[in-house]
Amino acid sequence: MTIRVAFAQLTSCWGCDQSLMDLHMRLLEVLPQLEILYWPAVVDYKLADLEALPRNSIHVGFVEGSCRTEEDVHLLNVMREKSKLLVAWGSCSCYGGVQGLANIWPLAELVERKFQRAETITDARVPDVNVPPFTEHIVPNPDRVKFDMILPGCPPTSDNIYDIVVALLTGAPFELPETTVCDQCPRKREEKHITRFKRTFEGKPDPEKCLLDQGYLCLGFATIGLCGAQCPSANSPCKGCFGPPPSVKDHGAKIISALGAIADIDPEELKKMFPDPVGSFYFTDYAASYLAKIGAKKREER
Amino acid sequence: MTKSRRRGESFEPRIVAFCCNWCSYAGADLAGTSRMQMPPNVRIIRVNCTGRVDPLFILEALYQGADGVLISGCHPGDCHYTSGNIKMRARYALLQNLLEQAGIDPRRVHLQWASAAEGDVFAEGVSMMVERIKKIGPNPMREGE
Repeated sequence: MTIRVAFAQLTSCWGCDQSLMDLHMRLLEVLPQLEILYWPAVVDYKLADLEALPRNSIHVGFVEGSCRTEEDVHLLNVMREKSKLLVAWGSCSCYGGVQGLANIWPLAELVERKFQRAETITDARVPDVNVPPFTEHIVPNPDRVKFDMILPGCPPTSDNIYDIVVALLTGAPFELPETTVCDQCPRKREEKHITRFKRTFEGKPDPEKCLLDQGYLCLGFATIGLCGAQCPSANSPCKGCFGPPPSVKDHGAKIISALGAIADIDPEELKKMFPDPVGSFYFTDYAASYLAKIGAKKREER
Repeated sequence: MTKSRRRGESFEPRIVAFCCNWCSYAGADLAGTSRMQMPPNVRIIRVNCTGRVDPLFILEALYQGADGVLISGCHPGDCHYTSGNIKMRARYALLQNLLEQAGIDPRRVHLQWASAAEGDVFAEGVSMMVERIKKIGPNPMREGE
């Protein structure tokens, strides 16, 4: 039996598609079993083709990206209507993504900054012809429609995607792990006792020792272990782009909790070391945080 | 929790207070048995140590509509578990930064020290907290109750 699939892209970088393409020869194992109904990234289908499909006619729908425009919201709703099983594919889709960081500011301010005050602009105007309106703030897709499965990652690795597709084809169970990046990281850990946090460009990290032990903000401890510790293995601290393990409700709160326990630093000094806590602690999942929800409510009221 | 009053009427804040078992909870008890006066806006939750207060509890309290969160523990150096309050202090510092950047008044969350013998300090802390929150106004999450 062929599986009827559709891939929809909302506001995103389409990096998840790239990651899927990186399966290379392994794609050949999977492709004959898939019937592609909609996938603008590789096949020339239009939105009207998707809209014309009967209800629940797609076996598995993959949604990538978050809803920054009303068009995205429409596409998401259509995908939900046409798909039996809907998969949130990538951190943008699961948690709002990097775009979610914009939730700190009201929409009017964002539009002004981007279209009227950007340094390179000479003829400032806000585009209003043939473009869909923006959404007020980024809301994670699972808060808009029901999803049957989520696969976080920025992007999910080719292996992650292969695993999920194979699981869907064979009916094997697929659960997100409760383990963290630290569990996959090959570096040596010692007793943590940090007296100063360093920026990534400061000094030269020892390739053997735990990056956090060395004072670099590596978020592996609070980030779901799906990526195979790619960044720490390449001597670069984890930015937490895969989001937290399933049981953690708020990524940033967990990070602050852990940092408070290991930082042997004067509180005022500590504050100065993290001038951008939202960016540092909620890289791809601010839209899914409690604070973003409170902030959205606050703006609604005004 | 009891229903809050609407805007326009006098605003009575609802405050969640996390008190450590060994100092501030006993301090709050002392304030009570000594009949010290303080506003009745605080709901106390006893925790073993302020080090047990995950920042998640604080954010979730705000999300559920608490107008303020007070964390009260032992003075630095007096922690029953050696350093729980020091950890809370570091978390509090980071949380203040985070709240400010997220556009939520960081004064909604306050950390204070009150020992078991300092019922007066606890009562004073509560009074000041209530006053502060009254000035800031209700938590936006409370609208539509």
